[in-house]
Amino acid sequence: MSGRVEHADFLIGDEPPGAEEALAPTSASRTRRSLVRDPAFWVGATLVTLVVASAVFAPWLAPHDPTHQFRREIPLGELSAPPSPMFPLGTDQLGRDYLSQLLYAGRATLFVGLVANTLAVFLGLVVGIVAGFVRSPRLRLPGGLAFSVPVESGLMRLTDVGLAFPALLLAMALTSVLGRSLELVSVVIAAVLWTTMARLIYGRVLMLRSREFVLAARALGTGNVGIMRRHLLPHVLPLALVYGSLGIATTILFEAALSFLGAGAPIDSPTWGTMLERQTGSLTTDPRLPLLPAIAIFVTVLAFNLLGDAIRDAVDPHTQRT
Amino acid sequence: MDRRFPRTAALTAALLTTTALAIGPVAAQEEGAPSGTLTITFDSEVDSLDPALGYDFVSWPAERLIYETLVTYDEGTTLVPQLAERMPEISDDGLTYTFTLREGVDFVRGGEVVRPMTADDVVFSLNRVLRPDLLPHPSPVSEAFFASIAGADAVIDGSAETAEGLQALDERTVQITLSAPDRTFINALATPFGSVMPMEAGYDATESFADPVGTGPYYLESYTPGELAVFTANPHYWGDAPEAGTIDYALLVPEETGVQEAMAGESDIDGDNLPTPIYQQVKDDPAYADRLHRQSQLSFQYLSIDSSAEDSPLSDVRVRQAMAHAIDKENILRLAAGRGTIANCLFPPELPGFDAACDPYPYDVDRAKALMAEAGVEGFSTQLYTDTSELSGLVAESMAADLAEIGIDVEVITQDFDTLLGTITVPHQAPLVSIGWFADFPDPSNFIDPILSCAAAVEGGANSSWWCDPDIDTQAAEARSIPSIEDAIPVYQDIQRRIMEQVPLVPLYNDTWTTLTSERLTGLDELHPIWLWELAKYGVDG
Repeated sequence: MSGRVEHADFLIGDEPPGAEEALAPTSASRTRRSLVRDPAFWVGATLVTLVVASAVFAPWLAPHDPTHQFRREIPLGELSAPPSPMFPLGTDQLGRDYLSQLLYAGRATLFVGLVANTLAVFLGLVVGIVAGFVRSPRLRLPGGLAFSVPVESGLMRLTDVGLAFPALLLAMALTSVLGRSLELVSVVIAAVLWTTMARLIYGRVLMLRSREFVLAARALGTGNVGIMRRHLLPHVLPLALVYGSLGIATTILFEAALSFLGAGAPIDSPTWGTMLERQTGSLTTDPRLPLLPAIAIFVTVLAFNLLGDAIRDAVDPHTQRT
Repeated sequence: MDRRFPRTAALTAALLTTTALAIGPVAAQEEGAPSGTLTITFDSEVDSLDPALGYDFVSWPAERLIYETLVTYDEGTTLVPQLAERMPEISDDGLTYTFTLREGVDFVRGGEVVRPMTADDVVFSLNRVLRPDLLPHPSPVSEAFFASIAGADAVIDGSAETAEGLQALDERTVQITLSAPDRTFINALATPFGSVMPMEAGYDATESFADPVGTGPYYLESYTPGELAVFTANPHYWGDAPEAGTIDYALLVPEETGVQEAMAGESDIDGDNLPTPIYQQVKDDPAYADRLHRQSQLSFQYLSIDSSAEDSPLSDVRVRQAMAHAIDKENILRLAAGRGTIANCLFPPELPGFDAACDPYPYDVDRAKALMAEAGVEGFSTQLYTDTSELSGLVAESMAADLAEIGIDVEVITQDFDTLLGTITVPHQAPLVSIGWFADFPDPSNFIDPILSCAAAVEGGANSSWWCDPDIDTQAAEARSIPSIEDAIPVYQDIQRRIMEQVPLVPLYNDTWTTLTSERLTGLDELHPIWLWELAKYGVDG
């Protein structure tokens, strides 16, 4: 067979050629080397750092309070103030500095991205590992009655339902009842993303469960939970983190779509999505207003995609894209 | 008018006749017959097609396609007969109105004649507005407009089924007796609330919404909620046939889409007020010169304040006065691209009764802060509701920033217009509302009774300040009985002053409505001062 096995695990049974390399986790040094050589990694990492830093340091970077309306600064007869030394990106119709708005909206946008993805990863991990490993345990009741608990099919059908659910409708329905909030948006997006994560992890766990290290652990008397937590989890965690970071891009786009439909963030904590939605009417008259948040979204999504792709290629080169 | 079938061989004529009858009523190809489809778009949904309930700028034009009233307005504000053959005979004491109905008027459903209109139908329709058992809720104007009918009180409180002041003397004669002279009564009859429905219509507005039967130039062909209402020209209409063969009422079309469609000529009328950026773009552009329509309205945009909420700082008049002083109306007008004039009191400049000297709360943030201190209110949080149009959002945020200066933290909540109406007509649900009021008729009473009277401060009513003063109600009722507007003006100016002392609402500005139409739209010279559009008079070329 091709390649060298670099880990103590070894395969048993029939495996297709090349699968060993696919399933064998690569060493840390190999990962680092391939990453460093990948230009996509550098571009992505730089951009992500810039975006995250601008969000974290927004209070220091923003030249003005984003909510303050500089009404006197708007030229007579104009609807907003154009870019100037005082307002590097101009103002909006209410006289609020646009650069400051973009910086603070970036915070809200990344907040949603982080929260939604963390929730999705967590849920996806739990469901994926349990479904892939526990499958359908037999339960024996006192009295001799035994039946299989269809944990695996139950959980996977749950992901089917989750995938089939019209997420936009769900978001709009919940928003009309509960009102708009950043937390609600995050939860709704997580409710959609976790299913993809779960199926990914599930597939990986199915491949791993028959590996010898699992059988060995079981022979040593480790219970199911122990195996899942101490043996399976470390194996799937890199995958989860890679797709989690790719998910940030999806989340940002999803949030922008929800805001466009009026089911996104509330008016007083704007995100790039809500800024875009509010300013589309000005596309022909003052394109700066909708284009700037659109560019912010574009750059951020690109950055996270590049970074996520680069890390995934380094860590898991033969993984099938779901 | 007569329809003539195409002149061809008898066999073909018979074939065409059969085909025409099979396809539908409006199959004639001759000029003069209604033709073409006129499309009007709205950002929101039709609230109701029932004349006793609909009370907004989306529902009324639709109602006026299907239903008609005894009298209506010409292209201005002069009353002319519609379903009545001529203007009514009014007794010397101003209490009795006798109408002779026009002959040859039929009720139509789905393009088919149901039966002729009679005086009993008129009595039924007007009485229906008074009925407290109207579903889903009673009419918002039972007291405001028709309470002066003798016996109306008994119907409203449920002790009588019909008002004794409504009588059908014979098939074609309706006699209405009032309990007190009411200058505005004939105007009220001209509003869609005075529409004539058949007696079989019953008292469930959701049924009449789904299956309207009226006498008007159009009938409802189909209605897909939230999408489209289609009105087809009534082939049995008693009057001049309308121009457009079909009117498409496109609903829930987002503001930006609606305006783009009108600019591109894909729709014929943008039913919503133009968003400010588009207005800026087209106002000086000669290509749009005859497609841009501006009409200063008998209207005002205002901020209503829930003045009777329990345990709320808003119920303190000094807090409301502070709010009035704190709002920068110049900025609001700037956000509207100058389309209008600043309003200091209730009555707009073109309304008889306008008082240029009425300006009790000029913009003065220091005075506002002093009033808040006097009231002993440091600061509090509240919500401001408005609709989802871009301009309303900007105005709301401008006011929120103004009120933040005096310690009031305002959360802006936008709802689409139809939903908003549902929210703000529930008592005390919306503490602050930014909304507009358009005159139903050109009389100062219309700026008081529907929005500031005790009768309107009920579920479903338009008094979103939930404020009323029984003394002012009495004074307003007396003012209504003064036969000539000129004599009534001093009384109304006094009422206006007294109301403004209490600040149940803060007037913001008087609108100039702007709309865009397609090139092929015909028949529109100026927007109507009361109705905005007179859809039955417009047509589409080519």
